[in-house]
Amino acid sequence: MKQVGVKRFSFSRIFMYLFLTLASLFSIFPFYWMFVMATRPSAAYNSIPPTLTPGNMLVENFKKVLNQIDFFGSMWNSVVLCTIVTVVVLFISSLAGFAFAKFKFPGKNALFIAILVTMIIPPQLGLIPQYLIIAKAGLLDTLQGVMILFFLNPLGIFLMRQYISESVPDELIEAAKIDGATNFKIYRKVVLPIILPAFATLGIIVFTATWGEFLWQFTVLRDPEMYTIQVALASLNNTFKVDFGMLLSGVFWATIPLVIIFLLFNKLFIASITEGSVKS
Amino acid sequence: MVFAKTLYPIVYLKRGVKMASLKRKHLSEEKKDMISGYLYISPFFIIFLIVGLFPAIFSMYLAFQKWNGFSPMEFVGLSNFKVVLTDPLFWKSVYNTIIMGIFGTAPQLIVGIILASLLNQAFLRFKQFYRVTIFMPYVTSMVAVALVFSVLFSNQETSMANYIIGLFGMDPINWGTSEWGTKIAISIMVFWRWVGYNTIIYLAGLQSISNDLYEAATIDGASKFQQLRFITMPLLKPFILLTVFTSTVGALQLFSEPTVFLGNNAFTRNEAMTIVMYLYRDAFRLQSFGTASATAIILMVLIVIIATINLLLTSGTSLRERGERK
Amino acid sequence: MKNVKRLAFLSLVLILSFSLIACNNTKSSKNESGGKSDGKVTLNFWAFGATGYDKLIKEYEKEHPNIKIKFKTSENAEHHDSLFTALSAGTGAPDIALIEVDQLDRFKQAQDRFNNLFDLGAKDVEDQYLDWTWNNGKSVDGKFLFGLPTDIGPKALYYRVDVFEEAGLPTDPDEVAALINSPEAFKTAAIQVKEKTGKPFVDSMEMAYRAYLDAAPEKYLNPDGELLIEDKDNYVKKAYDFAVELNKAGVVGNFEMWSPEWANAVNDGSFAAELGAGWLKGWMEGNAPDATGKFRVATLPKEFSANWGGSYLTIPSETKHAKEAYEFIEWLTSPENQLKSFKSHGLFPSAPSVYTMDDFKNNEDEFFGGQITSVVFGKAAENISGSGYKGEKYVPINNEILTALTNVQEGANPEKEWNEAVKRAKDLLSR
Repeated sequence: MKQVGVKRFSFSRIFMYLFLTLASLFSIFPFYWMFVMATRPSAAYNSIPPTLTPGNMLVENFKKVLNQIDFFGSMWNSVVLCTIVTVVVLFISSLAGFAFAKFKFPGKNALFIAILVTMIIPPQLGLIPQYLIIAKAGLLDTLQGVMILFFLNPLGIFLMRQYISESVPDELIEAAKIDGATNFKIYRKVVLPIILPAFATLGIIVFTATWGEFLWQFTVLRDPEMYTIQVALASLNNTFKVDFGMLLSGVFWATIPLVIIFLLFNKLFIASITEGSVKS
Repeated sequence: MVFAKTLYPIVYLKRGVKMASLKRKHLSEEKKDMISGYLYISPFFIIFLIVGLFPAIFSMYLAFQKWNGFSPMEFVGLSNFKVVLTDPLFWKSVYNTIIMGIFGTAPQLIVGIILASLLNQAFLRFKQFYRVTIFMPYVTSMVAVALVFSVLFSNQETSMANYIIGLFGMDPINWGTSEWGTKIAISIMVFWRWVGYNTIIYLAGLQSISNDLYEAATIDGASKFQQLRFITMPLLKPFILLTVFTSTVGALQLFSEPTVFLGNNAFTRNEAMTIVMYLYRDAFRLQSFGTASATAIILMVLIVIIATINLLLTSGTSLRERGERK
Repeated sequence: MKNVKRLAFLSLVLILSFSLIACNNTKSSKNESGGKSDGKVTLNFWAFGATGYDKLIKEYEKEHPNIKIKFKTSENAEHHDSLFTALSAGTGAPDIALIEVDQLDRFKQAQDRFNNLFDLGAKDVEDQYLDWTWNNGKSVDGKFLFGLPTDIGPKALYYRVDVFEEAGLPTDPDEVAALINSPEAFKTAAIQVKEKTGKPFVDSMEMAYRAYLDAAPEKYLNPDGELLIEDKDNYVKKAYDFAVELNKAGVVGNFEMWSPEWANAVNDGSFAAELGAGWLKGWMEGNAPDATGKFRVATLPKEFSANWGGSYLTIPSETKHAKEAYEFIEWLTSPENQLKSFKSHGLFPSAPSVYTMDDFKNNEDEFFGGQITSVVFGKAAENISGSGYKGEKYVPINNEILTALTNVQEGANPEKEWNEAVKRAKDLLSR
């Protein structure tokens, strides 16, 4: 939206910045507290009034984490898991989203509603039958066993369908067809470039959700060698003598890669916007 | 390699596409589109058939049985449903879930739009910073969130939350066990955690609106407000509907936040028990899988009803618009 | 456009390479687990909490080079839930599983999913363990042994020396035990502490309730599954009423166990006493460092003498190496190794022969100002006559009563809360 002739220091602008800054502080505060705890001894967790300034145990607490669990190994497992899941989900969702948005085929609406239904069953109940399937398939203690469930992502299809139907003009597709392109070529050359911002959005959502998920990964990965980061961190929390400094240090460092990934995806997001939108 | 199994859909897809292009000369465009349509949605449905369908059918079957996880199942017809629907704790959990949905989830949609539109302004400085920080809660691990919120909302007089309400002259609240204290604390936790998520979905939606439309409107002399009303809102409506739907489902399926906040009391006290917590308690604490499955089915019906109501409320005239556009 | 092509190509390469790596990872771990290639036997061992077993495992592996033990620990609730999931699905269970005593009855329902340790030779070691804890590990008809006992939790009276002194109570453990030798004396001392120091005697309603409850020969259910708490003069109501009485006298604090407030209260001495088991000390040491030297333990009156906690090592029937698994758990729970677990992690031995060992008898505990606490707990252990049948719905029913007690502490009517709790318990049972 172009702003022509708006004063630089109008009230509305000040209010806007104030609102955003408050929102940011509100959002980031617990993360900051986590960082503070990661730099302090365990007793600081219980202190009244709460400790709010960083201490000097950043490295020490992290060393304790490294002693207790295979931090980098499990983080690598998480990276592999989340990357593959994200790529596959982006691929599956954009294909299906494209189909639902731009093609006509009988039963289209019924199938779309069926997808809605898959979202509604709570995961907690499906746990035992899902575990049974994966166990019988011999996929316990494997990343593949974990992945399969995450490939099923209805949100991805909704988002892609919506984005594609709104931002990919039918005329462009028509033009490509006249030029003799197959549907897949249209997908690759017309649709994909336009939906990159949606890819960035969905990508970061899927990556983060998979990274932070616990229950299913804990259920399937029982062998400590195959642990992903959340499961490994949870095993820090099971002693009588909970070392909060160590625990929060592990949690803190486990979150940093996500922030990095977010920044990367964000760059992609912004880059594709500034590249300009649809040009015929 | 077992993993090869997941590559099969991609292989079939490529083959299918090749076949389709070979037959191009003989098939009409409609046929081509139809084949592509089915092909492109097949990866999702194949996976659904493998890991989605069986659990769904199993759960529906279980709802009519009595099963403790070990012994053989016993057919009991509709009695599980009767047990659940006459249980005051179930209705309390429905009430809790709806209240926390109204306080914790609904505000996200409004604040999310505001935040997204602010973040979308071209002139905004520090965009990157704001984007990252507002998304931080979604990225912060549940373990940390639980620890932070249980300290902030601890029952002690000196907890942050009690300190703040003390400034307004109120007595300290027992956040962990009081009727409204728990709901408010958990609602704030849910809001905090998910508002960023909805914001970036709205942001994506805003980005999908071509700049050309705004340029043309400015040239035509439309004010900023008019542009908001006639370009942004209608084109954002589908995204709003999307978030209304996913938020409704998410709110009705609320489980993680109350569970980690309440800790040991999660499945025993009733102040903040949600429907899914009730279900989980049946399954994993009382070994009563039949009633848990019946609860899941009742919840499904509830979601369909409430989601439909929410969507109708939100869409208003949009349905007519969409009808025209399609 | 070029960017898109590159992106697509890159992602394809990524997928392929990652899938190769993932395959490699699983291949190598698959070779190890359950494989008998090169004569190695791998045992999967699931446990919870702080056991310190990883050190003992390394020792065992050194002495038995053909055995590899994969040790997995998690939190109490998650551990038992995932064990339940595996047993229910009939696949993926570990070779050895540690089960807590309160959860044991829940798993006894699935007798066919476990190995009967009597079939593996457990009769031979029966005499090594305390009667009542051994019997807990058996099925109701006594023919099936689910697990070998690891540790137990004999209760004693932990008390703060500084608070007792301020209240004018004796501080020497023997004198304290002589003074507080009955429930009435307990209450009298509690009131004295309140009057002289203003501090509560016990930390929470749960503690006040457990005083009688843990010692009760019958609790919520009997082996036939009948609810006992509606009967006239049942033990549970007695425990409940005692807690209500103490609350009325104003001697019960509201520090919920395991919460940060509780940790601070332990640290600062905000309450006088705790009816705790041996393992509690480990927790206090780690979370309340300022309390070092300020606590002592004394013998509880016999009405309160009871067991709290303890676990069993079981062998699910899915295992392919029952014999090797049994050899390991027999080794792990042998008196010598129980002494090691006690010294390192405070796991109180279930084998009475340990109580006579010098290391045990001379174990001066710095946390307790040098008191030899092991002897107090050892005596308490031998005084326990039994532990009362729990039943598979023990934990949920217990939670209902605790909820009622919390409400009472916040001002609710005790009789009304009791009746509602009983109603909820009946509803639980009907599922």
